[in-house]
Amino acid sequence: MGALVCATALGLMPAQAADPIKIGVTGPYTGGSSSMGVSMRDGARLAAAEINKAGGVLGRPLLLVERDDEAKNEVGAQVAQELINKEKVVATLGFINTGVALAAQRFYQEAEIPVFNNVATGTIITNQFKEPDYDANYVFRNSAYDVLQAGMMVDEALAQGHKKIAVLADSTNYGQLGREDIEKYLATKGVKPVAVEKFNIKDVDMTAQLLKAQQAGADVILAYGIGPELAQVSNGMAKLGWKVPMITSWPSSMQSFIDIAGPNGNGVIMPQTFIEDQTLPRRKSFLESYYKSYGVTKIPTPVAGAQGYDSVFILAAAIKQAGSTDGAKIRAALENLNERVEGVITTYEKPFSAKDHNAISRNMVVFGKVQDGKIVYAKPEDAKNAGVVRLKEKSSN
Amino acid sequence: MAIFLQLIASGVAVGMIYAAIAFGYQLTFATSKTLNFGQGEALALGALFGLTLAPFTGYWLMIPLVLVFGFALGAVVERLGVRPAVKIKSEYGWIMATIALGIIFRNVAENIWGRDDLKFPSPLPESAIQLGDIRVLPMELLIVGGALLMMLAVEIFNRKSIWGKAVVATSNDIDAAGLMGINTQRVITLSYSISAMTAAFAGVLVAPVTLTGATMGAVLALKAFAVAIIGGLESGLGVIVGGLILGIAETLTGFYISTGYKDVPGLILLLVVLSIRPVGLFGKAVIKKV
Repeated sequence: MGALVCATALGLMPAQAADPIKIGVTGPYTGGSSSMGVSMRDGARLAAAEINKAGGVLGRPLLLVERDDEAKNEVGAQVAQELINKEKVVATLGFINTGVALAAQRFYQEAEIPVFNNVATGTIITNQFKEPDYDANYVFRNSAYDVLQAGMMVDEALAQGHKKIAVLADSTNYGQLGREDIEKYLATKGVKPVAVEKFNIKDVDMTAQLLKAQQAGADVILAYGIGPELAQVSNGMAKLGWKVPMITSWPSSMQSFIDIAGPNGNGVIMPQTFIEDQTLPRRKSFLESYYKSYGVTKIPTPVAGAQGYDSVFILAAAIKQAGSTDGAKIRAALENLNERVEGVITTYEKPFSAKDHNAISRNMVVFGKVQDGKIVYAKPEDAKNAGVVRLKEKSSN
Repeated sequence: MAIFLQLIASGVAVGMIYAAIAFGYQLTFATSKTLNFGQGEALALGALFGLTLAPFTGYWLMIPLVLVFGFALGAVVERLGVRPAVKIKSEYGWIMATIALGIIFRNVAENIWGRDDLKFPSPLPESAIQLGDIRVLPMELLIVGGALLMMLAVEIFNRKSIWGKAVVATSNDIDAAGLMGINTQRVITLSYSISAMTAAFAGVLVAPVTLTGATMGAVLALKAFAVAIIGGLESGLGVIVGGLILGIAETLTGFYISTGYKDVPGLILLLVVLSIRPVGLFGKAVIKKV
């Protein structure tokens, strides 16, 4: 790690006399959600390298200061303070885990440094420091937040004609906030779930939860959790010989889900901002350089990789527009970004406003499906329109 | 009725996982009145070691190698963590030392195998089989059978072999055994080796059903500890019964009460046992003469 930082620093020194612009990158690079964290970090690294190759921002190179928050709230808070006070970062990207984001981002808010959530989805994240309680909100995001995903999951279940919905969620902040969003949205549709069950991280056996759903006559399962436990739900259904459609939150696209569920995971669908397809030249070049740089044939968690990559470009554009590394100016630039930022998920046209700090709108999110170890488009029409860039809907969030 | 039986079947499978791990606690407690709090890490190391070997040797041939690995691991723990503490008659030193070794093992495992949860290839078909009204995974049957067989093997070893007899003698009265010419220190090392060996074996046994990773043992070992307390720290039969009670209580509560309270009855039972019968359901109450 130390050697790596030295190498990057040395590599940049001769070409750039200017001080690098330090950007914090925080996420779990170890642990159960590391495939998301590592994909995000690797995507961000690619973007920073591309920007630096093209001359950097304001004539200065970007320097990513990477810190492992281990998906632990308290570590995340420590990392935030270190990045702000010791490393003096200009802005920070990252956060995979909603709990960590909520614990850590208040330090950025207080220091008036923009903090950019590129993976964590808890709806509350961008609302934590909302007007009118706070003069300015320094929290931005380019991932599909939970209310949006929960709405998609419910609408999809109802559109498929299912009437009896069972909701399974893990007992973390992430799972329980997602479950709340699902239940709230179901209530607006006048539907009451037939079963609402909970499971813990590292639970071995899902028999009780699944039997309850089965006995309640559920004809579809909406599951909110992360890869390994979602896989245990799939495996548990196979064990009970019970086959109903399963719609999950986005992390069933994690490699761990695919590995652990194996054939039992086939057909599971989940909201995705990014599917590994090479229809657009921008996506093609991103995927090719990702595969080549890291010697893989598939991004471990494609959504995280793509969102991590895009977040660096959006931030760079804002710093350029602000003409300085002052936090308040960057925030103002983000809220009124003039440049069209061509990312791999979409082309960001005014991604944020003073009121709306979520770059992703519902029309950008598609359903992905697990099929033989890969995530593909769940719907033929999405696959056909893969090459169409879905711009942000006005006033959608 | 079918539902009830299905819940019981799943509870038995989960309970035997706990029992297999709890068995290791009981072995070392019997000889030295100390426990290896790194039992969960021994389990994880065994499973990860097995995962690395399996592609070369296949599942079945890998098991003896994992047993040897576990045996050596236990000896290391005893030498480094327990013996120095016992020697200076420290009452708590071994607790800290075994926890510390456990943390070191976990960090080593994280550095070698990473911190992702990995898939352990199942040696048996992964589709469930129908037994009457209930469905079980072949692997779950193997866990129950394997765990029972392992405990039986250790019992036979203790009763029939000369080394086993020394273990039993040391368990009964360590001072008398010493006076009879038994090298009790080596017996304690042996019990740690066997204990870690059973943990490593339990690791490769349960890994195809649970997830495999450096932290896989954390939750399991804690539950197993509760099982050992409920059943009695000195009774092999106790850990089986304790495991079954806890496993079945979890699945039944999950279904009939709420999945949110799944872990509660087992822990209440733990508190009840501790207050009414601190030696555990099957523990022998010994009057200590001072």
